[in-house]
Amino acid sequence: MSETTPLQIGAEGVDVDAIVRELRERVAERRARGEYDEATVARAERFNLANLKDDAQFLERYLTCLRQAVQVDIDDFEIVERRARLAPLLKRLKRGIWCLLRFYTYRLWSQQNQINGMLLAATEIIATRDQERLDRIEARLSEIEARLDAAGKSS
Amino acid sequence: MNTAPHDTARRQLPRIAFVAPRLAVDGAVGGAETLLFNLAQLARDAGCDVTFLTTCARDHHTWENLLPPGETRHEGVRVIRFPVNTDRDIETFLRIQEAICTGTAVSDADEELWLANSVNSRALEEHLRTNTAAYDRIVTGPYLFGLTVAAAAVAPERTLLVPCLHDEPFARVRRIARLFRGVRGCIFNTEPERALAVRLFGEALTAPGRPAGIVGFALPPFDCDPAGAARLGLTAPYILYCGRREPLKGTPLLVDYWAAFRRITGRDVKLVLTGSGTAEVPEGMRRHLIDLGFVGESEKHDIMAGAVAFCHPSVNESLGIVLLESWLAGRPVLVHDRGVVLREQTRRARGGLWFRDYPEFQECLNLLLDQPELAAALGAGGREFTLREYAPAAVQARLLEALR
Repeated sequence: MSETTPLQIGAEGVDVDAIVRELRERVAERRARGEYDEATVARAERFNLANLKDDAQFLERYLTCLRQAVQVDIDDFEIVERRARLAPLLKRLKRGIWCLLRFYTYRLWSQQNQINGMLLAATEIIATRDQERLDRIEARLSEIEARLDAAGKSS
Repeated sequence: MNTAPHDTARRQLPRIAFVAPRLAVDGAVGGAETLLFNLAQLARDAGCDVTFLTTCARDHHTWENLLPPGETRHEGVRVIRFPVNTDRDIETFLRIQEAICTGTAVSDADEELWLANSVNSRALEEHLRTNTAAYDRIVTGPYLFGLTVAAAAVAPERTLLVPCLHDEPFARVRRIARLFRGVRGCIFNTEPERALAVRLFGEALTAPGRPAGIVGFALPPFDCDPAGAARLGLTAPYILYCGRREPLKGTPLLVDYWAAFRRITGRDVKLVLTGSGTAEVPEGMRRHLIDLGFVGESEKHDIMAGAVAFCHPSVNESLGIVLLESWLAGRPVLVHDRGVVLREQTRRARGGLWFRDYPEFQECLNLLLDQPELAAALGAGGREFTLREYAPAAVQARLLEALR
């Protein structure tokens, strides 16, 4: 953004409306290119949902966030230890605990992933159906309005 | 503030009682109370006979009567303190408040019960009733306190309400609508606040002859030094928030956005907080969030002057006093698009940017960090706006017009 947005200072000061407009266009472009880490963004929006819910694109954005966050990572991970002096011992201990817990963890999280996936699918189906229903109603409404207009003109 | 009028004008000036739930003795009160005392000082400076009526409470959670009742002087203004009623039924108050907040239907009787068990002072009401003739005007606020409703009921034809109105469930209580419609007039902080009041309570609020002016908060310019922030150890770039930390003020949102900004962009930007309350800090971010707690005014202004931007993500404000201070310190602001009052203030001042969601916040902050000259120009725009609109003489003139 900063490379492309010129400094716009006129006689009355900075044109802030123009800057915000350009910022929003840039966000839309970057979003379309998938440049934002939507899972991190989704987490950052937890206190903003009440402000976003009236936004026309809210559901679409929310579903994008859900799609990116739905799969919990259950792969093995590198075990680290910051306390250098005891690191070898503590690392071995942590690896041992992880080996014991891995079976239960995989079982729990794979089930959780299955539930998450089903919930996402259900939400998407409901959203698609609602949108289709709304489209049909709007088309019908336009048709009725056109007929009423035509009837009004002929009388 | 050298804003005293000529003697001829002084003779026509009214005797005024300002009524507020609290009065700061150490600067630790809400914005509405600070605003009312600011207006009282301006009226006093104009030559009005001013009395500030308030309670003995200091804490807005307990409302305990910690200060002595009776007459005193505070910064040259005559102040009379009265005890808060101690027989409040908090349970009933909270039960009805919960219903109002969730949009459940509440009866007229329950609305009255809610206000009766809000913060009230029978002693203060009695003083107003027995001294009605001593005051030409009663200026009271903010709108959602039982004390304000009771004070307005004593002599509504002489009462001016300073509502500090937000778009919130309490503004839809029928008794509150009657308060707005029943008083002589209102003193608003901003145009969006007045527009909200008209939308909620009707066009009659701004009918000809009825006071409905926008007055605001008088803020004289101050000296500040960005190097002062460095002396406090703030050497890395930082964004700033000053005030109470609570969900209604949007501070949890700010902390989350800032933490996401650090993670996603990898830029070393600190978050500096001053004021009261707690903030939940995301894992691994504690050493980058600098909590200074309460700081003195001059220190606060230095910290403002050293910030990349002042960020105020609240969507429920009737005036952003800290925004004005940040502009006087020459720095831009970042506000939430849904906070109509703060956004419109920012737009009019050409003093900052606004965001709807995290990606927009990220782009705004990146822009201010990458283009310091733009940030400085926004800060200068805000300063010029504040000096023009919120200079004590300008605010005093608007206040005297409303008091006529």
